[in-house]
Amino acid sequence: MKKKVISALSGLAVGILASTVFFGNFSSQETIPTAAAKTDAEKVYVPFGKKDEYYLFASGGHSGQMFIYGVPSMRRIRTVPVFSLDSATGYGWDKHSKEMLGGYTWGDLHHPAFSETNGEYDGKYMFATDVGNSRAAVMDLKTFTVKDIIQVPNTSGPHCAAFVTENTEYLFLPTRFSVPIGHKYASLDNYSKEYRGVMSAVTLDEKTQKLHIAYQVALPPWSYDLSDAGKKISKDWAVLTTYNTEEATTNLEINASKEDRDFIVLFNWKELEKMVKEGKYDNVGGQKMIFPEKHKGGIYLVPVAKSPHGVDVTPDGKYFIASGKLAPLLTVFSFEKAFKAIKNKEFAGERNGIPILKYESVMEREVNPENALGPLHTQFDEKGMAYTTMFISSEIVKWNPNTGEVLDRVPVQYSPGHAVAAEGDTVSPDGKYLVSLNKLSKDSYLSVGPSHPESMQLIDISGEKMKVIQSVPVDPEPHYGQMIKADKIKTIEVYPKDEKNPDAVYNQKDARIVRKGNEVHVYGIAMRSKFIFDAKAKRPDVIEVNEGDKVVIHITNIDFDEDITHGFAINQYNLNMEIQPGQTNTMEFVADKPGTYPLYCTNFCSALHQEMTGYLLVKPKQ
Amino acid sequence: MPAKKMSVSSAISISIAGVLLIISLFFPWWGMNFIAPQYPEGLDIVVYPNKLKGDIEIINGLNHYIGMKPFSEESFPELAYLPYLIVSMALFTVVVAFLRKKSWLYALIVVFLIGGALGIYDIHRWLVDFGTNLNDNAPIRIDPFVPPIFGENRIANFTTFSYFTTGSYIVGAAFLCLLFPLWKERRK
Ligand SMILES: [Cu+2]
Repeated sequence: MKKKVISALSGLAVGILASTVFFGNFSSQETIPTAAAKTDAEKVYVPFGKKDEYYLFASGGHSGQMFIYGVPSMRRIRTVPVFSLDSATGYGWDKHSKEMLGGYTWGDLHHPAFSETNGEYDGKYMFATDVGNSRAAVMDLKTFTVKDIIQVPNTSGPHCAAFVTENTEYLFLPTRFSVPIGHKYASLDNYSKEYRGVMSAVTLDEKTQKLHIAYQVALPPWSYDLSDAGKKISKDWAVLTTYNTEEATTNLEINASKEDRDFIVLFNWKELEKMVKEGKYDNVGGQKMIFPEKHKGGIYLVPVAKSPHGVDVTPDGKYFIASGKLAPLLTVFSFEKAFKAIKNKEFAGERNGIPILKYESVMEREVNPENALGPLHTQFDEKGMAYTTMFISSEIVKWNPNTGEVLDRVPVQYSPGHAVAAEGDTVSPDGKYLVSLNKLSKDSYLSVGPSHPESMQLIDISGEKMKVIQSVPVDPEPHYGQMIKADKIKTIEVYPKDEKNPDAVYNQKDARIVRKGNEVHVYGIAMRSKFIFDAKAKRPDVIEVNEGDKVVIHITNIDFDEDITHGFAINQYNLNMEIQPGQTNTMEFVADKPGTYPLYCTNFCSALHQEMTGYLLVKPKQ
Repeated sequence: MPAKKMSVSSAISISIAGVLLIISLFFPWWGMNFIAPQYPEGLDIVVYPNKLKGDIEIINGLNHYIGMKPFSEESFPELAYLPYLIVSMALFTVVVAFLRKKSWLYALIVVFLIGGALGIYDIHRWLVDFGTNLNDNAPIRIDPFVPPIFGENRIANFTTFSYFTTGSYIVGAAFLCLLFPLWKERRK
């Protein structure tokens, strides 16, 4: 008996062993290449069905748009219109976006910033500013659509924005151009006296998704270039770079480069908030405005090499890095040293009523990478290492802010303005990827004539040495960008039904046209593949009005289905809008041209999309 | 002399059947899944005793292309009274468990079988109704069709899979609980 069991067991064991030997898979180590062994092509290839690891939001500069890319594939996923008209989405023609744009047709979208929670991107909102027409916008990342735009009073060109505080308490908008308060006429001879570089503290009301100006600060009439909020120990503080502290009023190229030093404005927003609460401000045209020479405290100046561009706070919040854009030198400043100097009132006088800290008492170290020229902007990796773009020497320099040691350099093509690293300006950067946003592409791509695209280059920063692994052309013109881990963004696919929306129609039988005097209100639906404006009419897809009528068309897309977006355009009336799945969108116009105008769906939706048409009939006046 | 009562374990088994019937109310009984090249994730109709779930509006939107009438919970009056029928059935089952009489059990099993057959016939009736009463005015004209109650079918670019699910399985289990006493009380 015992013998039998043993022989049976041993037979089984032999069988298992044999099968392992003959059928086992020992090739796993060979088929999965290690990261180091991956070629550049493998690092950026994201096969169909797989998705990118990061979203890259690249500011679209004077296109007024935001470009959304995937990283590492560098595939352009979407263009989101923000400050300019976009006929692809009807942005600027439907009622809401038309009102938001406020009559402006273009914008200059500079530095984008994500909303943050505890110094980390929370994936809820994206903020952007318009240097062209002095506006600020907020984009909801559930839908990637702009929810509100405000015009910033007393300010011209909020280039030095946007940056948000650690918990999105404020979005600060310092300005590039100084102007008289209220944009009034004032002779440039009185520049120093009557002009101001007004900075706004903006808040977002998440419930209404509206932006509000909490207060403004009438900074001296200088140009404010870039900024960053503090982190951790410096979280109540923020820093801005300035140029033209010479207060030149003409030929700035020469006249604003005279002094050897400009300033970094260092301010404590908690203190400013307190001052506003205590009434330490003036009421200027409805804005609560702090005048630093009058309402003292909370604002200081730190001398810096002349004409600086970026100022960037290290992830640990201990230091801020700035440099003159013409000088080779990078300066690491210490917040702790600055706090100590402020506490001990170690000031070297005042400028425009603001105390100046001594360069030597705030400076931690100076870094001078050999022959590197034109440092503009710095990002960080997960170890706190700094990556600085060198505009003039056209390279990225990797260096250690704690020691000043230069670790690596890589040329980029050509002239990087900003760079953006994966979550590279948060309290915990991810490392991995850095995208260099280059101002010139020159010979990099197939020629399209004298006007060239700009260029973005993806750099692998996971190792000791940087490696450029992909290069893609991009429309004019990315300034700064933001790179966020893809899983932080939670989009919706379909707008939820809103039974309280009086303009929405969810049942096609309820589609109707209501006439009130010379106003025509259409409550219609769009579905694959038809419009229904009046369910009871002989021709439900026809709108008939009288010349001169005000026409308001509400259309609900009742295809509650992923990617079934409809469009609605009226031929020769210069009108088009987008209606996303489940969305109710509104178009308003005066039917001032009599005649017959076909209307149709502009966003290809179905096999019978071509049939998705109707007519607008405008009866001429008798 | 009155017939011998069934054992306690048989009574328990019948009671369990009653409880299972109640539980089945909270689960879907039957469903249909639609897959097309544009819908690799599939669209669903899921039928509960008292409601419809799934992508009903999307399916209705697509069905108008072949002239099928739109359906909703209102188009199936059964959904209003089916839960009451099932609850009554469960109560009847519990009563039979208390009576512990074989004759009543036989009656219950017969009612169960008739109910099941009627249920299946009802689904079939609706499938015939929706699949064959197609509007001639539809953009895409297809031959009338009857999707199977169970299994695969193809309509235009869609492959459909009909299936019974949790609620039906629970009812199946309930039926087995009713059969158990027949085995238990068999004449030895
Ligand atoms: Cu359409």
